[in-house]
Amino acid sequence: MKPALLSVQNLESWYGESHILHGVNLEVGQGEVVTLLGRNGAGKTTTLKSIMGIVRNRRGSITKGGIQTIGMTSDRIAKLGTALCPEERAIFSSLNVRENLMLPPAINDRGMSVEEIFALFPNLKERIGTSQGTKLSGGEQQMLAIARILRTGADLLLLDEPTEGLAPVIIQQIGRTIRMLKERGLTILLVEQNFRFASTVADRFYVMEHGQIIDGFKSADLEANMPKLHDYLGV
Amino acid sequence: MFEFLGIPPQALFGQLLIGLINGSFYALLSLGLAVIFGMLNIINFTHGAQYMMGAFAAYLLAQYLGIGYWPSLVIAPLLVGLIGIIIERTMLKRLYHLDHLYGLLFTFGIALIIQGLFRFQFGSSGLPYPIPDQLQGVIRLPFMFLPIYRAWVIVFSLAVCLTTWFLIERTSLGATLRAATENPTIVRSFGVNVPRLITLTYGAGVGLAGLAGVLAAPIYQVSPLMGADIIVVVFAVVVIGGMGSILGSVITGFMLGLIEGLTKVFYPEASTTVVFVIMAIVLLIRPSGLFGKAATTTAGVESTGIGSSLDGGRVLNVAMAGLVAILAIAPLVLYPQFLMKALCIALFAMSVNLLLGFAGLLSFGHAMFLGSAGYVSAHAAKIWGLPPELAILAGTATAAFMGLIAGAIAIRRQGIYFAMTTLALSQMIFFIAVQVPFTGGEDGIQGVPRGLMFGFLDIKNQLTMYYVVLAVFVFAMLLVHRIIHSPFGEVLKSIRENEPRAISLGYKTDRYKLMAFVLSASIAGLGGATKAIVFQLASLTDVHWSMSGEAVLMTLVGGLGTMLGPVVGAFVIIAMETYLAEWGQWVTVIQGVVFVICVMAFRRGLVGEVAYRTGKPL
Repeated sequence: MKPALLSVQNLESWYGESHILHGVNLEVGQGEVVTLLGRNGAGKTTTLKSIMGIVRNRRGSITKGGIQTIGMTSDRIAKLGTALCPEERAIFSSLNVRENLMLPPAINDRGMSVEEIFALFPNLKERIGTSQGTKLSGGEQQMLAIARILRTGADLLLLDEPTEGLAPVIIQQIGRTIRMLKERGLTILLVEQNFRFASTVADRFYVMEHGQIIDGFKSADLEANMPKLHDYLGV
Repeated sequence: MFEFLGIPPQALFGQLLIGLINGSFYALLSLGLAVIFGMLNIINFTHGAQYMMGAFAAYLLAQYLGIGYWPSLVIAPLLVGLIGIIIERTMLKRLYHLDHLYGLLFTFGIALIIQGLFRFQFGSSGLPYPIPDQLQGVIRLPFMFLPIYRAWVIVFSLAVCLTTWFLIERTSLGATLRAATENPTIVRSFGVNVPRLITLTYGAGVGLAGLAGVLAAPIYQVSPLMGADIIVVVFAVVVIGGMGSILGSVITGFMLGLIEGLTKVFYPEASTTVVFVIMAIVLLIRPSGLFGKAATTTAGVESTGIGSSLDGGRVLNVAMAGLVAILAIAPLVLYPQFLMKALCIALFAMSVNLLLGFAGLLSFGHAMFLGSAGYVSAHAAKIWGLPPELAILAGTATAAFMGLIAGAIAIRRQGIYFAMTTLALSQMIFFIAVQVPFTGGEDGIQGVPRGLMFGFLDIKNQLTMYYVVLAVFVFAMLLVHRIIHSPFGEVLKSIRENEPRAISLGYKTDRYKLMAFVLSASIAGLGGATKAIVFQLASLTDVHWSMSGEAVLMTLVGGLGTMLGPVVGAFVIIAMETYLAEWGQWVTVIQGVVFVICVMAFRRGLVGEVAYRTGKPL
């Protein structure tokens, strides 16, 4: 494995009184695409939100590029080059499409230009004049949600179920995008229910259950692990 | 010169100009309120006081540092904004996770403190501020003389409003602000320091109020109360325009100023109330306001969570019996006059608590029921010669009827809009009370005869009077107890907790809320009507909105959603007012401080705290 860009050790998190994560350990190497699998409620989204600093009540160790971020607020973590594409997409209805795209401030000059983004997502170019971000279709909103964090120059992307509820052709497009981002050297931690899709983009898998990582394997070993996986995911 | 509908053009255009000037201030102030509300979800009751501070900052800068109008136009808003930022950083930010109503109450407390301090320092008479030399003189138009300064105020306000609109709707900073309004968590995860953005927004919104204050200084006199009067009108403007739209609040502000000016020409008697009448009409036709988006008034988020649920427990019954026993022997120790005042006001506080504590509806206008019932009861006893019991009944019935109408208007909006609407309605009643002859204006109705209660109780005797008041109080307390422990009361509590769910269970929540409002108004009226007989006086004080504020304060001090809290709160506050009376303006300041402390650190209140510690409903 390449040197870890993200390293999470003994991460515990709480939502109010409820204890959600019970000691998560994972590492994501520089330039790797890693997928978190697990049933609903296993703590996948909470793991991403804890890394991003959105879940504030957390303990343990999270280092990004060697910097400890466990005590930081999410705006500072963002400035260190971590960006989240949330499950609910969070496209803003009071902003037009262009404003949505331009909203996250660039943290360095290594981000993609608007032209590059349009080359990647031609639909967005057509819809850029749309008055309300939420008037876009679900697939377009998902692309917009990914596109806007590519502009900032973040090198660690946290993608929370980007294919959820989308048509197969759009899922393929998102798959191509992720592979392209990997080629550009970006590091991606992906949460997915759809492990068929995930196997087309991921280098490695982690499996979560009850707020812990219970297993992990390489993408190449997916077939060998299928029986176990069926057991974990109950499919 | 030509005449228009019998009105000389000079008068017509003169009033239109005054209307535009007022409209400029309404627009600037409601713009600031809208900006703050969008970002902080708080209705900034301090806005009027901050407008006043802007005017005073200009006055003091000129007085002590010799700094003139032009630099003040920049320095004063900065100062006011800075003070606002300090308030936000140290206190206000701790309230964001609470219900919106606490923000309103907190800023109300701060407004009391600021206004009290300024009155203490500067008295309540106005101080002059000169028009800057460059803007002296008039422009001679064919139909009127236009003072240059007034033209400047209108043009400059318009420019400031449009610039603000442009900033928010058309720039990337504005886009960030709008996004943070929608979803602060995600915007923060993009690397935006949202808390700092919130602080700066509050500072900017408050700075706009300060700017309006500087603009107003040469037109109106600089006085500590200049903001208290305008803020209620601005609330009405905000309700009419709907908070969702920046441009909407600007247009509404100017429009209402103009309408006010026109009313002054054609029907001067209505000029103080016309804005409130328009508000009532708009609420009936288009509840979300002229420019408001229906989505901004989602009910669910506004369910309060204020107060604790309670079942009729034995402890409560014992406590109530104990209270009555203490009150029965209290005249041996305390002045009956004081006790009677406290009891009447306790009724008033109980009525506010019935709505706020159990239905989650903050009425900031209950003084209209207290005061009107007082007037009717006094009038009935003095002019019509009715016996006291019928006079009180007449007053209470009036309050109930007013409650029906005011309630039907106010329940069309939830949460803070409800509070602002009731406040505006009560201000309308106040202005009516000032004008109509039967209230006696500033003098009130004096020398109301007490007479014989039920034909045989001589209530001219102080002690007899006291026990009659006590009986009225006990009756009302049992009534409230009955209401909140009835199935009706349970539905009210469910509305407080989660109105959409109550609706989905098949309850017509509007009817329940209206019923609660009428009951509450009646109890407030009972208190006011009795008070008028006891003190043989009905006056403007009881119908002024600061009285409503006091009732909310009493409820808060005693404990929201508790049975005995408002009673205890009323005694505490009335005692404070009675025994601190010689401190003058400091009473307002102390009340403000109590408000702030209660909201910041003592939200359960005295009785609520005891109930919480012992685990017994009180």
